[in-house]
Amino acid sequence: VLKDLQQRLTNARTFVPPLEGIQQQYGINTKLLNNIVDYWRTKYNWREREKFLNQFPQYTVSVQGLRLHYLHVKPKTQQGFQVLPLLLLHGWPGSVREFYEIIPYLTTPTPGRNFVFEVIAPSLPGYGFSEAAVRPGLGAVEMAVVFKNFMKRLGYEQYYLQGGDWGAIIAQHMAVLFPDQILGVHSNMCFANTFLSNVKIFLGSFYPPLIVPKEFEHKLYPLSNFFSTILLEMGYMHLQATKPDTVGVGLNDSPVGLAAYILEKFSTWTNPEWKNLEDGGLTKKFTYTNLLDNIMIYWVTGSITTSVRLYSETFNKAQMSIGIEKIPVKVPSACAKFAHELAYSPSTVLKEKYHNLVHESDFTDGGHFAAFEVPKVLADDIYLAAEKILAANASQK
Amino acid sequence: AIVIIVLKVVDKFRQLFKIPPLPYLEDTWWGPRNKSEEDESIKPFTINVSDEIINDLHQRLNNARPFTPPLEGIQHQYGLNTKLLTEIVEFWRTKYNWREREIFLNKFPQFTISVQGLRLHYIHVKPIDPDGLRVLPLLLLHGWPGSVREFYEILPFLTNPQPGYNFVFEVIAPSLPGYGFSEAAVRPGLGAVQMAVVFKNLMDKLGFKKYYIQGGDWGGVIVQNMATIFPEQVLGLHSNMCFIRTLSSNIKLFLYSFWPTLLLPREHADKVYPLSSKFANTILESGYLHLQATKPDTVGVALNDSPVGLAAYILEKFITWTNSDWKNLEDGGLMKKYTYTDLLDNVMIYWVTNSITTSMRLYSETFNKAQTALGITK
Repeated sequence: VLKDLQQRLTNARTFVPPLEGIQQQYGINTKLLNNIVDYWRTKYNWREREKFLNQFPQYTVSVQGLRLHYLHVKPKTQQGFQVLPLLLLHGWPGSVREFYEIIPYLTTPTPGRNFVFEVIAPSLPGYGFSEAAVRPGLGAVEMAVVFKNFMKRLGYEQYYLQGGDWGAIIAQHMAVLFPDQILGVHSNMCFANTFLSNVKIFLGSFYPPLIVPKEFEHKLYPLSNFFSTILLEMGYMHLQATKPDTVGVGLNDSPVGLAAYILEKFSTWTNPEWKNLEDGGLTKKFTYTNLLDNIMIYWVTGSITTSVRLYSETFNKAQMSIGIEKIPVKVPSACAKFAHELAYSPSTVLKEKYHNLVHESDFTDGGHFAAFEVPKVLADDIYLAAEKILAANASQK
Repeated sequence: AIVIIVLKVVDKFRQLFKIPPLPYLEDTWWGPRNKSEEDESIKPFTINVSDEIINDLHQRLNNARPFTPPLEGIQHQYGLNTKLLTEIVEFWRTKYNWREREIFLNKFPQFTISVQGLRLHYIHVKPIDPDGLRVLPLLLLHGWPGSVREFYEILPFLTNPQPGYNFVFEVIAPSLPGYGFSEAAVRPGLGAVQMAVVFKNLMDKLGFKKYYIQGGDWGGVIVQNMATIFPEQVLGLHSNMCFIRTLSSNIKLFLYSFWPTLLLPREHADKVYPLSSKFANTILESGYLHLQATKPDTVGVALNDSPVGLAAYILEKFITWTNSDWKNLEDGGLMKKYTYTDLLDNVMIYWVTNSITTSMRLYSETFNKAQTALGITK
């Protein structure tokens, strides 16, 4: 696999140069891509990275016929601490790699707290080292069932959830479907899509202060701006929700193509301003090595096609008619809102979906890949949220 | 006060339906060279791809990574079925002979000429024996993911006298800028409206002051633009993708949904109505358009680096856009109407010229605020 990869990197066909005066506005800038591919070809050392990636205990287990891969990290010091089992769910185009920096924070006791986390971080079905479904139907709702069964199989009847991107969506569904299992949810991509939440957003366009504090008003209003931005950035989603198998062929056959497709998201979703930078801003927050680790996980497992099928399995009439979005989350929930997240949801809007919102935080930095980009910030927020969730559950009793 | 409000509403209403003036369009220099250095001559052109490119292609086909199999019970509903792709790639690898195809593709006289800084490729076929017949110059424009290859079978019909007609066509079939053997723009801005200017200038340079135009897909869009902007030059237009998108046409479409047979004969009503299912189908089929209109350079990398990826992306359209029912056939129905050889000719034109990325940029250069603001669709 590695020799083949090296050959493909060496023989990559010449990239089409960007148009004059353009940075990332037409998609990834191939001058930037050239730099990254050179690095990949000449400096990135997979065998070293394998050692790095193997630093955490990993296992596979069969759930509903799929052999699922997961990291399982217990706290170093357990004596005297309450150990909270935490299911950590990644998204697209991410992987368990996004959690490597945050896991030590979560599994190491922090001063002043008597609890610490035991982290279980699986690869989603069809992603990385987890098997993919062979038959249609495995959307985000069905993945919630898979992970509830997964945790049960591992011996956890009650646990906490954390997720971003698809991980946030699946965590939200789990909290709705299995409130007896879910002690609390922390999400860095909370969202609401109920009738009333949408009414609120619409009404807010006439008088935003009703819905959103002044300093965050620009993140949602005017709605026309918001929709333009969404439209500009959702092409990939539209294609993946309709023809995943088509685009998957090229992405699975060309490592430079796969890198371009994935890295564009790490640039734009971390900070949309980075579209105006010729180097895409990536090295401000990431290293090429870390970014390539994630891409390698997709490449060596050949999982890009099955990963994008999650979009078509979720965005279709059958899944949408389940109507899960309309059902509220009653378990204690926490929402971390990072500055450059793709969509912003004000508190009053979120509360239509999260009926037990015990913690919300707004950050002036950080983007979509919070765990990967600002692990300590996210970890601190998870601890803070956990305190409130524990208190909420205690007072329930 | 009421009079003022009424007048304002009437005025607003009138503005919505007003036809905008023709846009002011410059002869923008799209190419990489200096104007003073540009070679303006017409040069004969022969397709002659290097051995290096062909050998590299074969290596890539031989070393294609295993495809992800389709889900159980699925044909093409999730995109191109990789079982079908495996067969086509096998054919490509073992039976398709590029050097033979090059001879085929070179059967028509081809040239290149510089227009606004871009060296454009075109096929130019004059009628063989126009004895006594009127010769009508016809500009033939292709679209995406097509090429001049789409016209190889129709060219003889157009340039040979047909019984009962006292005219015949002289055909000029260019490759769009950024497609196939035509150069691509190096600066932003070359959308479908600007392409209309380029082709008017092309015809002008070839000595045609008045001519006819035909097109489908982007060709249909560009001919529509040419006819709108250059009515003095365009004697007549034929399109196999006529379309309209004005406020009144949309209103009509919506109102007639309540009584479709007032608008259409009963047997055609289901081609337009119900609007909801047509709209749903559009959403289902326009993912590629959405992506290409926003991030052409990103998806272009993989498509330009993986021939099997390029083939999958292009052939999916030849299935679904020829007959949407073919999505339910495991073999995609392609052989009912095409041969793999002919389909691969078209894919090869994209591959050997590295033009997939620049071809897709036409979407982002057209579907944007600036181009929409020109109001040409009105």
